[in-house]
Amino acid sequence: MNRHSLFRLLAMTLALSLALGLAACGSTETQEGAAQETPAPAAEETADGGVNVNYGISNPWDSLMPYYSVSGSNYSRIIYDKLYDRLAYLQPDGTCAPRAATSWESADDGYAILFHLDETAAFHDGTPVTAQHWVDTIALVTNPACNVLGRDTFAGLTGTDETGAAVAGETLGAEAVDETTLKLTFQNPVDPEEFLVEHNRDLYVLPTHLLGDIAPEDLVTDDFWLHPVGSGPCKFVSEVSGSTLVLAANENYQLGAPGFDTLTITVMDKANLLTALIAGDLDYYTFGGSLSEENRPVAEQAGFTVQEGTVPGTFYELMLNNETLDSPALRQAVALSLDKQLLCQQSAGSLGTVTDTSILPGTDYSRPVGESSYDPEGARERLAQAGYEGETFSLACTSQRASLAALIQQDLAAVGIQTEIETVDSATLFAGMNDGTYDMAVASHTPNSLPLWFTGSRFTADNNIFRVQDLSHYTTLLSALEQETNATARIDLVDEWEAYLQEEMPFVPLWFTYALHVQSKTVSGIDYPAAACCNENVWQWEKGEA
Amino acid sequence: MANYIVKRVLGALPVFFGITLLVFILINMAPATIADLAGGEDASSAAAQAALEANLGLDQPLPLRYLLWLGDLLQGDLGVSYRTGQPVLHMVAQRVVPSLILTGTGVAAAVAMGIPLGVLAAWKPGSKWSKLAGGLTLLSFSAPGFFLCILGIFFFSVVLGWLPAAGMYSAGSGGGVGDLLLHLILPAGVVCLSSLGSLVRQTASACGEVLGEDYIRTARAKGLPERAVVWKHGFRTALLPVVTTILNHIPHIIGGSLVVERIFGWPGMGSLLFTSISSRDYTVVMGITVLIALAVLVTGLLMDIVYRLVDPSVGWGGEGR
Repeated sequence: MNRHSLFRLLAMTLALSLALGLAACGSTETQEGAAQETPAPAAEETADGGVNVNYGISNPWDSLMPYYSVSGSNYSRIIYDKLYDRLAYLQPDGTCAPRAATSWESADDGYAILFHLDETAAFHDGTPVTAQHWVDTIALVTNPACNVLGRDTFAGLTGTDETGAAVAGETLGAEAVDETTLKLTFQNPVDPEEFLVEHNRDLYVLPTHLLGDIAPEDLVTDDFWLHPVGSGPCKFVSEVSGSTLVLAANENYQLGAPGFDTLTITVMDKANLLTALIAGDLDYYTFGGSLSEENRPVAEQAGFTVQEGTVPGTFYELMLNNETLDSPALRQAVALSLDKQLLCQQSAGSLGTVTDTSILPGTDYSRPVGESSYDPEGARERLAQAGYEGETFSLACTSQRASLAALIQQDLAAVGIQTEIETVDSATLFAGMNDGTYDMAVASHTPNSLPLWFTGSRFTADNNIFRVQDLSHYTTLLSALEQETNATARIDLVDEWEAYLQEEMPFVPLWFTYALHVQSKTVSGIDYPAAACCNENVWQWEKGEA
Repeated sequence: MANYIVKRVLGALPVFFGITLLVFILINMAPATIADLAGGEDASSAAAQAALEANLGLDQPLPLRYLLWLGDLLQGDLGVSYRTGQPVLHMVAQRVVPSLILTGTGVAAAVAMGIPLGVLAAWKPGSKWSKLAGGLTLLSFSAPGFFLCILGIFFFSVVLGWLPAAGMYSAGSGGGVGDLLLHLILPAGVVCLSSLGSLVRQTASACGEVLGEDYIRTARAKGLPERAVVWKHGFRTALLPVVTTILNHIPHIIGGSLVVERIFGWPGMGSLLFTSISSRDYTVVMGITVLIALAVLVTGLLMDIVYRLVDPSVGWGGEGR
């Protein structure tokens, strides 16, 4: 290689390095530029060095259009909770507090609910929120031309079909009685509190006065959602989609102004949330500073107070494919073979409580936990009765639950049921149960206080994830439950429903776990357990010194 | 030269479209679609899933979907994200620069450290430099990125409290350079360490080979200072494979580092790719694929041009060395 060639080579390398370097140096501008593409009027507030709350979250949110959450996940709901207002504020025990609505009452013999709205509520552009905004929001979202998701929230309203879409020629069951009274009319009697427990987290008021020029079919992808306007406790400032969201406190929020200037929400790996909190990079992380028992000593050694949840925050189940595990005796054998107490201890430590039902403990519908259902001998008898001939079933789980699946596999093998574990991601797991690829799967869910929170939507022709072959009796019982308004009779019907589930065993309830909450050292006023209901009382948060 | 570049670009076009087709087929072979995720743990109804599939065009035959996507691409439109409803171009544009900063800095630091260390290791075998180079290479090859991330966070953020554990800027800091550098040290350090091994080994190997050549012995016999022999005569000849190794990092720089970005909450391409794959957001995955495929092809072209500039014997006619 001659000197001339060497210089050319070095020049090329340097030029390339320079190009990359310049691109990188320009990044701050570009980054800010990107943020400035979508700023709301309060954009300058982030650079003012005001009081900021750093908020961690382990999964990204979807679109900032609250009726277009493709994942339908709580990670999106907890973000919408800040930007948009909901009717009520929910506690994990099933009680509701005022939020956009100051009170509510049943009307028309239980077929309607009147929501009395807070007259001081306003959108971030200053426009007062009226009952008509709620009506227009519901009309927009139930419009079949609108490609929204989660429309089934409105499926019970009069004038809608089973998907929640408005039926042409029928009157929609949403009416503005006056400026601050919203009336929702239903096809069946509805208890206001139960309606809120079930649907409040998916009911938001939109600034329909700003959406008039957008065609319904273009609504969800319109640029409006790049810089949305809501009426929640925080205002939009900027977003790097799926990574960072900066919000400003809404000083005019009807329940009070948050005690900070900005809220910066950052997506980071779940494994780094606690360490970032300890290192001081986060003030708080969702959901309620949720902590596993094994990390409890780490948090406590770092000087954090750990609060124990009072209401279970997660329900675990073993999903069964009723098509391949085709007899109740076989499914009962699976249930009886599981030493839930030991499995729960291994999985959740002292934070779990085993269950034979999906009904949340401590509610009117729950029953005292009886003797352990663990009965290997009984399981073998059921297997013989079912004519099980040793075929191998697939058992799907996510990587986080691989060790739990291995313990379940051992319990099943002890009575002679052969399984093969398949570790997949959650999308594959649920899709695989839906299409019958897998025979069993370990899954968890966020419960609420309603008796049918889990079972009510899983035994219909349209959503039959357990692949039950004959849904007729399930449908009859569920229909009777939906129609019943008398509290005592309803409890009896729930008991009957649960007895039928025990008999058929379409899935195996495993246990509930209580959450641990690591308390923020820098932000006071946080209602930690309420995060499980996908709402956070940010208007009561106060940022102080560590 | 111009003819050569035109020929290479034309030759790269089928490769580019081949890559996009392959990725499109592979991601669509993955079990579950975004419609299966709809409703989350609440398990949405079959009707809702079908409506979403129709809305997103997932109910169309696969070849038609690819052709539609390709048609949009040729018009400069990467489509709209299934998950966020935002234009893919907007999302990718937001993430490219942070990735360039992170992996660019990490690789630049690795080059700055790796080349001198590699030369020293070849020049003075058995010395402390050689041992240091060996140790760092071993660490680079044997320690997985996620482990280095967690180790770094534990020591420098939790125990010592010197460096931030996450993010690109401190919230409310206004995005200053100093703040950025502070946030950059740990993640870029991990990228640097991960890239260091191959650079040190490549440099040491190339230099070691050259330093045993007859002309180096001749240079020494002529009485040239040892430093001049190594750096002017030895390293200069060994530079070509080293530059190749450096250029090979360019797609990595643009594509970001998935694990590091995810753990440190760095808003780059790697974390966007992770999220998009997890949520079956095919349009974003395809958008990132386009960018990385272009980076790979352009880098390959650059490398070939550099070779021919450096070594005229290769020629521009396309004949081999």
